[in-house]
Amino acid sequence: MYGFEAMTFNIHGGYLEAIVRGYRSGLLTAADYNNLCQCETLDDIKMHLSATEYGPYLQNEPSPLHTTTIVEKCTLKLVDEYKHMLTQATEPLSSFLEYIRYGHMIDNVVLIVTGTLHERDVQELLEKCHPLGMFDSIATLAVAQNMRELYRLVLVDTPLAPYFSECITSEDLDDMNIEIMRNTLYKAYLEDFYRFCQKLGGATSEIMSDLLAFEADRRAVNITINSIGTELTRDDRRKLYSNFGLLYPYGHEELAVCEDIDQVRGAMEKYPPYQSIFSKLSYGESQMLDKAFYEEEVKRLCLAFEQQFHYAVFFAYMRLREQEIRNLMWISECVAQNQKARVHDSVVFIF
Amino acid sequence: MRSSENGIESSKEISQSEENVINFLDSMDTYLILVDSLSSALRQGWFELASARQSMGASRVNSSLFDLKSHHASTTFQVDEHEDIELPHFTLCKWASSDDPEKYSEEAKFEEDELLRNKSDSPRPQQRGATSHCSEYQERSAEIGGSPVKVDNQAEKERFKSLSMFGALVSPKLRATQSSFEKALEIVVEISNVRSSLLRSYDQVHEELKNTK
Repeated sequence: MYGFEAMTFNIHGGYLEAIVRGYRSGLLTAADYNNLCQCETLDDIKMHLSATEYGPYLQNEPSPLHTTTIVEKCTLKLVDEYKHMLTQATEPLSSFLEYIRYGHMIDNVVLIVTGTLHERDVQELLEKCHPLGMFDSIATLAVAQNMRELYRLVLVDTPLAPYFSECITSEDLDDMNIEIMRNTLYKAYLEDFYRFCQKLGGATSEIMSDLLAFEADRRAVNITINSIGTELTRDDRRKLYSNFGLLYPYGHEELAVCEDIDQVRGAMEKYPPYQSIFSKLSYGESQMLDKAFYEEEVKRLCLAFEQQFHYAVFFAYMRLREQEIRNLMWISECVAQNQKARVHDSVVFIF
Repeated sequence: MRSSENGIESSKEISQSEENVINFLDSMDTYLILVDSLSSALRQGWFELASARQSMGASRVNSSLFDLKSHHASTTFQVDEHEDIELPHFTLCKWASSDDPEKYSEEAKFEEDELLRNKSDSPRPQQRGATSHCSEYQERSAEIGGSPVKVDNQAEKERFKSLSMFGALVSPKLRATQSSFEKALEIVVEISNVRSSLLRSYDQVHEELKNTK
């Protein structure tokens, strides 16, 4: 019953909610970002991060540092925290936490399949996979020639199996088919996660519905913009949009026929939450759209912590950490390329 | 009479040597501008690549996705060294059809005379080059019976194909990265042609200095 979670939540979820709120207090602040943005070299960044929770992960890294090393080590911290929470969680929280990984699993599957298509070494591809998306039989993906084999040989025993029903064909894997597979899998995953949260009910359902709807809408906009000028047909584009969200179904109908960024703006400005996002952009420009969406997402994720006794805080924390890692990657790249004047183009402050 | 003829000849020699020095200085100036433009184009390209990684994610934009399958190059570089032409001439042939590499859909020719002539109009050679080769494409495609629209479509198709190693649906930031590196490649070819001219001018000036000693 919604509103009575306070009576029972802490029996199984109290410890981990306290843990995740503790983790949240370790997120970098605006003062940390200001210090990082003034660094001259990557070693300076390492020095500043040594005073944060990332310190133990970076302290043994030799100079000269590379931006990918900083991102890799920061991601390891996130993975350690996630694994600690997962091992302590009971149902249904453990299933909820598993759902958070599935997006990364899809990305890893696509990375392996694409890399294999391009005749890359499997070991090299495995090193580039996100650690949260690893599973036992991932290396076997390299042997599959089409989606049917992909499913039958490897993915049938993974949590992604139910998402494959919509994209099993015997067509050979090529760049466009892989892209459609990626987006179809992600669509099925988001819808499944949405249904799971709805079943949980209460504050989890209310807050996660909002966050997942935003994710679905953002994906729809990105798919639209990225497919402008490509061979993807309108029907195929429409099929990649999720069947929920603020834009479903009428916004999707308009987005499916957009041929340029201004038409996308016209479709999105009819929805008040997205009007504020597009008002930050000038006409014909889409460079700052990613940052505008990230800022909106961070605002919503931070609001999830304002309420207690629900699982959305775990999802929010993972997403906020991923945003922090994106920020660190961007700052590192700007410092490495001596482009410090552009550092605020993509940094999204969390607090 | 003889002294006036000698005077006319010597003044002609002086003006020729001055012209050679001016040509050398002009070439040097163009070369330095182009090197600076190349540095800017590459800097912009790398920055946009970082921006594309930020947008699409590190798993979608990384070197492990480069295509190692053997395939025809869509952009090739030609060196023309004929007896009639004093200097080697470098040509970039962009976005040829990867299905039929013999058929070039676009060519960019950077004539050193055109560069020197247009130097005074704009300090940005890559824009001049772009303007010059756009008009050349239209003339060339008209010669071979094609249309500018077909040429553009073929080039767009090849651009899309080369980016598809990162996925069929890529961010506009990645396409901007491709444009920046494409411009950098054009500037490199311009630099090659200008450097060739610069070295010739230098040889001429050096020869004259030796003769006067």
